[in-house]
Amino acid sequence: MRSRSGRFSFIEFVIFVAVTFAVFCLCVCIGSVSIPLTDTLSVIWDGVRYHLGRLGMAVIQVVSGSGAEAVGGAGTVPGGVSATVESTGAVISGGNGVLASWLAAKPEGLQASIILSVRLPRVLCVAMTGAALALAGGAMQGLLKNPLADGSTLGVSSGAALGAVIAIAFGVRFPGLPFAGTMVMAILFAFLSLVLILTLAYRLDYSLATNTIILIGVIFSMFVSSLMNIIVTFAADRIQHITFWTMGSLQGASYQNALVLLGVLMLCGGMILRRAQELNAFAIGEDNARHIGVDVRRVKLVILIMVSGLIGVCVSIGGSIGFVGLVTPHIVRMLVGPNHRRLLPASLFGGAVFLMLADLAARTLLNPIELPIGVVTSLVGAVVFVVIFYRSRRRS
Amino acid sequence: MLQVNDLTVRYGDLTIVDHLSFTVEEGQWLMIVGPNGAGKSTTLDAITQGTAYAGQVLFEGEDMKKKKAAERARCVGVLMQNHFAEYAFSVEEVVALGRYSCAGVRSRARWYAGSEIGFEGEFAGTAGGTDVRIGKKPDIGTKKKFGAFTEKRPGVRTKENVGLAQKSRRESGLHAEKHTGRSNEDEQAVENALALTGMSSQRKQSILTLSGGELQRTFLAQVFAQDPKLLLLDEPTNHLDLVYQKQVFELIEKWLQTPGRAVISVVHDLSLAKAYGTKVLLMNRGRKVACGPAVEVLVPEHLDPVYQMNVSGWMRQMLGQWGG
Amino acid sequence: MKNRKFLTAVIAVMLSCALAACGGQTGTQQTTIAAAAEAAAETAASAQITAEEVTKAAAEETVAENAEAKTEASEEASEAGGASAESSAAGEVSGPVTITDMLGREITLEQPATRVVALTPSDCEILFAIGAGDTLVGRGEYCDYPAAVLDIPAVQSGAETNIEEILALEPQLLIMSAMSQTEEQAAQLEAAGVQVVISDAQDIAGVYTAIEMIGKLMGRDESAAEVIDNMKAIFAEIEEKSTGDGSKTIYFEVSPLEYGLYTAGAHTFMDEVANMLGVKNCFADVEGWGAISEEQVLKRNPDYIMTITMYYGEGPTPEEEILGRAGWENVTAVKNKAILNLVDNELSRPAPRLADGARKLYDFVYGEDAE
Repeated sequence: MRSRSGRFSFIEFVIFVAVTFAVFCLCVCIGSVSIPLTDTLSVIWDGVRYHLGRLGMAVIQVVSGSGAEAVGGAGTVPGGVSATVESTGAVISGGNGVLASWLAAKPEGLQASIILSVRLPRVLCVAMTGAALALAGGAMQGLLKNPLADGSTLGVSSGAALGAVIAIAFGVRFPGLPFAGTMVMAILFAFLSLVLILTLAYRLDYSLATNTIILIGVIFSMFVSSLMNIIVTFAADRIQHITFWTMGSLQGASYQNALVLLGVLMLCGGMILRRAQELNAFAIGEDNARHIGVDVRRVKLVILIMVSGLIGVCVSIGGSIGFVGLVTPHIVRMLVGPNHRRLLPASLFGGAVFLMLADLAARTLLNPIELPIGVVTSLVGAVVFVVIFYRSRRRS
Repeated sequence: MLQVNDLTVRYGDLTIVDHLSFTVEEGQWLMIVGPNGAGKSTTLDAITQGTAYAGQVLFEGEDMKKKKAAERARCVGVLMQNHFAEYAFSVEEVVALGRYSCAGVRSRARWYAGSEIGFEGEFAGTAGGTDVRIGKKPDIGTKKKFGAFTEKRPGVRTKENVGLAQKSRRESGLHAEKHTGRSNEDEQAVENALALTGMSSQRKQSILTLSGGELQRTFLAQVFAQDPKLLLLDEPTNHLDLVYQKQVFELIEKWLQTPGRAVISVVHDLSLAKAYGTKVLLMNRGRKVACGPAVEVLVPEHLDPVYQMNVSGWMRQMLGQWGG
Repeated sequence: MKNRKFLTAVIAVMLSCALAACGGQTGTQQTTIAAAAEAAAETAASAQITAEEVTKAAAEETVAENAEAKTEASEEASEAGGASAESSAAGEVSGPVTITDMLGREITLEQPATRVVALTPSDCEILFAIGAGDTLVGRGEYCDYPAAVLDIPAVQSGAETNIEEILALEPQLLIMSAMSQTEEQAAQLEAAGVQVVISDAQDIAGVYTAIEMIGKLMGRDESAAEVIDNMKAIFAEIEEKSTGDGSKTIYFEVSPLEYGLYTAGAHTFMDEVANMLGVKNCFADVEGWGAISEEQVLKRNPDYIMTITMYYGEGPTPEEEILGRAGWENVTAVKNKAILNLVDNELSRPAPRLADGARKLYDFVYGEDAE
């Protein structure tokens, strides 16, 4: 099955996309409030048509508007200008009329609200958060040659959460960008924690043995959680929701969040995917990577920054959701092998599928009560973690 | 080829390598010997820029410090003594990684002397000797010229970069690249390295399931695929049984027969150093004790104070057990 | 060499432990652990003796059925109580007090308490409501009402309850809830001579019980009765005036969307007050407090929304935030802008202010002019 190039074949790619899309559809169709499948689809279809129509009108307006300006700027006779304005106005209304006749009105009502405003943005955010966390986990497991490495086991997520909590407690804000403060602080703290943990780990044990680094991660997580408690004691009125930062929730995720996630996935995720070959070298051994000509220091820095970016954004949007980044690359590795050219894109899809299903369970199992998504991922993840650890111990 | 001037490595207050100078020329196999803690492996680390040092390491007159990582790998390859596999990469994937530094530097692909000698005979069930042969060895002068050009501008794919004789192959390589992500030359280099080390039949096998000797041969294949000018070996046969020791050393000896190559290896076994080394560097506590042909260095005047025992007497006694 | 290093490490750890123990949060008293333990043991012993004497005296009294014996006994008891004799002037009633706390334990004080620590905000509120706020020598860190309570030294409560800190305040009585404190903490405090009383109201009737109990402990039965009557009167008035028949629904938001929705379901004070007003809690099928699905809120389409989210002066207010939520524009409460923000915990604490909260909710639902 494994092609010699180590890349996905077209068929494999199609299969992954299809599975992910199927799970996505499933998650949009099933929810706390049950809505018939046909209604769900028609609401989405109407929504798409409505927004396409608005986009189309905007384009027409911009085009005709700029045309009118150009004519107005060139023309010297006032009568001519008014004539052109009138004619462009006619064009606009004509265009609008044509569009309006084909496009649906804005979907209204309970079902439209639930599907378009609540479920769809949430599932989108969940899918991309899962993809980002799994990619970050896969990259770290390769970079550190450590199958137990992940944002949650290394304490990077806790670090990011600490950054977010500090941003809220001390009111770190950027004017005009309401959630940029927490996000930037989360990314910054994710990176700082990574650097701190790895420096400590290298000092203790150059080979970055599995146990050392996990131990340091656990200690660091404890340390961070105590820091977080201290901050919460000082700013109790501002941070009532400490569980959000420890358990995570994607309730109330918006399209803006989805857009931010998409951006960070394209940027950081793309950078990581481009380093697949270097990650392969790291996964075989850092010294070996250096010997075959990988610029170890630079690649490591780039990967760590990108991983921090992914984890920081995910934590600032959904809190720290554990185990996704740990478990997904493992399951995926069993399917497609350890080659990062296949592993990373497959983790991307796998993480999306895993977190979407976990979120589905969190949303619907105890209806109308909602479980924190972190509880579901931890439940599944902890079991898999033990299995992995057991197997790796037994092997060595 | 390699010139080490006044190399000093310190870890805190500890001086590991102390003002060490030596040179290695084309075709030479330098054996670095000495007791544990003499600074042998650290010297290799310094050459590959794996540790901070004072002094100079010049490769063909250029400072290794100033070279980019990929350029360094084109010059110097390393075979380590231990490999700890964590993930189930296939043998082929590991070997192919050896071509990492060659991306975009096609014209420097060289041919394996070992293929002509047909070394596979020693390994059961490996590819036949003929299919490893690619073609004639290019004239060294031409190769050097293009090599120098591409080293300055890696990644540039111009016709000037490509030898005329290789032009048609290169085009087909480009074509192949579209489908496989690897050029024909890379494929060929990997094939050769696998065949040379006798790992062809196990190419799809996971490295987690290999024996110590097979793993070492896999990484040897990797460094062969990398095709450096200077090969560094850090106790390459430390964990291998006699059969593999012999195989590895003979493989490297064949590899060295191609002009423009040199080997430095750290060994503990003085008789191996004597048998294969064309030059021996004896180190003790970070300092050079003696450097020169084996017959001049591996003599009691040098060895006995360093090891604080009658080395040759003991060796003779050991060999005497075999009735020789 | 290695051994010596290890030994030094062990000694260093022990020394730092000892330092931490001495520098613990006993505050200005600067007692060492050992001294504190001794003192605690002494007080415990004396407390036991006095308790025995009191019960003995009580037994004699019943047998003799003699009025004289009764006064003698009470005199004896007050003597045993020692310094608390002059403080009886502050309370309305003096003499021994026996109550059953809300875990069903029988508790007797030889005198109404004059030095009290209350860990739960609601108990602080009750103490102030019955005019016994001046007896508070310590409060839990989250006690914030009335404003005067903030001048009283705060101690850590909940899982991090600091026993040393509490003992340093030398209280006679400690009031705490069963929900946020543990049995071990109670046992430790009682061993150190502090009488622990559990106040654990789960519903409005429970609040009356708590007020009555605390009133007795403080010797302020009458004030307590007044507070209770006042609450009952307000509730009765509201209930009588309310015209709702349960057709309108209300959604109580305890945690905002950003951090995951949380609501107050059945058997919470909010639910009880809603029933009083003839308004249906739209999450009455959820028991207690729980995280709920956003979709369900939209589906259940509440007519009113009450949120207890705090506003810190930045960004949209909690009302504005709810009004601006995507997909909520069809919810009746959002359409009618029928959103109430109660930020002072009136309806989340088992305290007399439940009546104020109920009145505010009544005004919100029926309009202020209806009063």
